[in-house]
Amino acid sequence: MLDRAPQGTQDETRPRPVAFRGAGFTPSAGRYSGWIALALVIGFWQLAGSAGWVNALFLPPPSAIVAAIYKLALSGALWQHLSWSVMRIGSGWILGTAAGIIVGFGIGLSTLARGVGITFISALFPIPKIALLPLLILWLGIGEEPKIATIALGVFFSTAISVYSGVDAVPRNLIRMAQSFNVPFHLIVRRVIWPGALPSILAGFRITASVALLLVVSAEMIGAQYGIGAFVLQAGNLMQTDQLLAAVVILSVFGLVVGKGINLLEARLLHWR
Amino acid sequence: MTGFARLAVAALLAIAASGIARADDALKAKIGVLRLSSSAPVFIAQDKGYFREVGLDIELKFFDAAQPIAVATTSGDVDFGVTAVTAGLYNLAGKGTLKVIGGMSREKAGYPLIGYFASNNAYAAGLKTPKDLAGKRIAVTQVGSSFHYSLGLLADKYGFKLADIKVLPLQSLSNAAAALKGETVDAALLPVSTARTLMDSDGAKLLGWVGDETPWQLGAVFASPKTLTNTALVTKLLGALVRADREYHDVILASVKDGKAAINDKTKPLLEIIAKYTNLPVEQVVGNCAYIDPDGKLDVKNVANQISWLQEQGFVDKGFGVDAIIAKEYVKAD
Repeated sequence: MLDRAPQGTQDETRPRPVAFRGAGFTPSAGRYSGWIALALVIGFWQLAGSAGWVNALFLPPPSAIVAAIYKLALSGALWQHLSWSVMRIGSGWILGTAAGIIVGFGIGLSTLARGVGITFISALFPIPKIALLPLLILWLGIGEEPKIATIALGVFFSTAISVYSGVDAVPRNLIRMAQSFNVPFHLIVRRVIWPGALPSILAGFRITASVALLLVVSAEMIGAQYGIGAFVLQAGNLMQTDQLLAAVVILSVFGLVVGKGINLLEARLLHWR
Repeated sequence: MTGFARLAVAALLAIAASGIARADDALKAKIGVLRLSSSAPVFIAQDKGYFREVGLDIELKFFDAAQPIAVATTSGDVDFGVTAVTAGLYNLAGKGTLKVIGGMSREKAGYPLIGYFASNNAYAAGLKTPKDLAGKRIAVTQVGSSFHYSLGLLADKYGFKLADIKVLPLQSLSNAAAALKGETVDAALLPVSTARTLMDSDGAKLLGWVGDETPWQLGAVFASPKTLTNTALVTKLLGALVRADREYHDVILASVKDGKAAINDKTKPLLEIIAKYTNLPVEQVVGNCAYIDPDGKLDVKNVANQISWLQEQGFVDKGFGVDAIIAKEYVKAD
């Protein structure tokens, strides 16, 4: 049924010169283009603010945001907010990650843990942690525990999922070969499975670090006097939009720093790739 | 086809007629309110047609928190706002995007609105009166809220420092109630409507009412500068509201005894109106009647005090006073 294009029209014996076409799409990260685009957007934003095109209340210009950050830094409140948040994010992330790695390896290596674990993770992962805030307050009070628990819970599920899919993705023939050479179980885990799963675990870290940053705002809904999240909430409640955006900028800079840190970690741990 | 033509003509006529009707009462406006009895005069004026009688076509827009009403007034989604004055509202007003034009609910002795509540353990350990709140851990909804300011007034009254109190913002009333019931805070400031279920289930002890300790101006009527240029609209609206204020005051507030309004032939019709708009049974409305000045007056001195207190705490931007946020031509000062 398919009509073939008539082939007789081309002279098939003569070679036709064709330019190389199979280069693929290789977008290389330009050194400056990103920064230039960012500078242009910020410049336009500032212009819109200073020229009075938009009300400073609805969109504070970058200069007002920088001034708000400067004032915060000067008063010392910025460091207080940052140190509390770093403590909460750090301890919550470490707890959630440690538990996630253990559970993830369990699911990846044991049949029983797999059956039980995947069911529970699928059932509990989609629960919005904010909906549980009143319960968390009743269970854990309003000290640091519920704040850290909120972050740890959010981090735990993503980590567990990325760890067990990383373990699943380790080439089976490598494991079989180690087993044939009678390598003990703990050595197979340490020397074969752990390095094999590491790329996927580190990709998981990248996501969970952002999840921890997202959750710090909801964690600090629970009776926090200091913390970047508490500051975001306060600025929103008080309609201090410049301070609100200042806190948002601080959060995203924090995210950038963490991302760079994970880049370094990847370069160190995955140099064998 | 002729049927269709007739329909089209009818539609055209209808549009023309509605156009004429619109020309008749040109003064349309939207009011943003909460479904709380502290806005009772707005509901009475709407339900009994006081707005219509002065030639206003008012639409009520309901919100679930005070702050969004101020924002909606600023952005022009509603023309007038009636709600509690908050730090956020003052920050908006300070930038000139809205002005206060009249008074609404007040904390006043004998009219329970916001109360101080102690957890059972703290009560057993000797927290019996509002004076004892010094040095305790107290839950509020948000920093700079009405609850926070009430604590500041209490601190001034009894001569302790607000810094001695550990104020814990829990973001919502349900969180604050949970913290109180779970004994993780010593006390909380809650509105009577939230606290009733707690008290009924013996989850907290009442220490006193803010109105009895430190009366202050809680709610106000406000509008954007653009709305204020329409003098006829604003004057008529305030006139109709004062008429309802007066009726609410003389009928319901006059019958309040031990913090509860009486249910009788006189009060029943008004209570039913409030019940309808607040979605509460009449039996609950009677214990929840905010005091409102019969002439719609605003306690300007107290508003000035609120602004300077909030500025001192850093919740409101410095550099403006009460004069900048009040439309003097409309406000009747106390």
